[in-house]
Amino acid sequence: MSLLEEGELDELRAEWVGRQFDEKEFEVSLERAQLWARACGETRPEFCDSQHQDFQVPVTFASQYTGRKAFPKELTELFWRGLPFDAGKRVESHAPIRPGEKLIGRSEIHDIYEKTGRSGSMLFIVHRMTFTGLEDELKSIVDWRMVVREKKNKSEES
Amino acid sequence: MPAKRFDDLDFGDEAESRPDVSMEQVTLFTEATGMKVGRFLDHDAARKEGLPSAIIPGIMSQGLLTAAINAWIVDGVIESIDTIFRAPLQVDSSPTCRIVVTDRDAEARELELDLVILNEANETRVLGTARVRC
Repeated sequence: MSLLEEGELDELRAEWVGRQFDEKEFEVSLERAQLWARACGETRPEFCDSQHQDFQVPVTFASQYTGRKAFPKELTELFWRGLPFDAGKRVESHAPIRPGEKLIGRSEIHDIYEKTGRSGSMLFIVHRMTFTGLEDELKSIVDWRMVVREKKNKSEES
Repeated sequence: MPAKRFDDLDFGDEAESRPDVSMEQVTLFTEATGMKVGRFLDHDAARKEGLPSAIIPGIMSQGLLTAAINAWIVDGVIESIDTIFRAPLQVDSSPTCRIVVTDRDAEARELELDLVILNEANETRVLGTARVRC
């Protein structure tokens, strides 16, 4: 059984996919970059040693950044039709991000789709944040997949 | 995990690492990200939320895989990494990161990798793929 009404998926896609809804500036913190590298067990000097000539943040560092609003209100309302959870992240690196630099993060809805699995219907909303430097050079693209899973009664669970 | 270079690696090669996911390391991660919430930092608070114990933030598990790739393929640059957070990974547990080379493009000097984080019971907690240029 779908979490959406008939035709609603097409309407949502037409309304939201590809639409930018937020923009925010971030300053990349040296201290936080070093803590991240230590916490994750990075050993390469370009991620650990601030004196290294190619010192940069670990490639998934930008995945922690969120905009002023994570999702548009109209889409967060869909979360309550089921059980929402963070299904995963994809990070595409285009250029090194250096501590101390400023980034612009622009948020858009990249995709909305449904899947049916063993546990029932699942609605996926893919939030894309594109990070550029102040000269608009592309640095990183982070896709965040939120999934809303159908709620089942105990009697329906096998 | 012995460090390798592109020229040492072939299709099917694999490596394993044992990341440190102690409360001390997770606390460092939450300081780096500002994710200072009970479910990550306090076993009792996590149990009150219905979790078995404190869990590792999903983006930290991705960071553990990234560090494992960087340690293994020392002349590699990660171009992309995609991870699925299938089930919670517990703080103070002993997980294993496993990396397998699934494609090797000698001309482009690129590797495709399959990634997985397993718990002590050998159950998949996180899985994914990565593309590395050397």
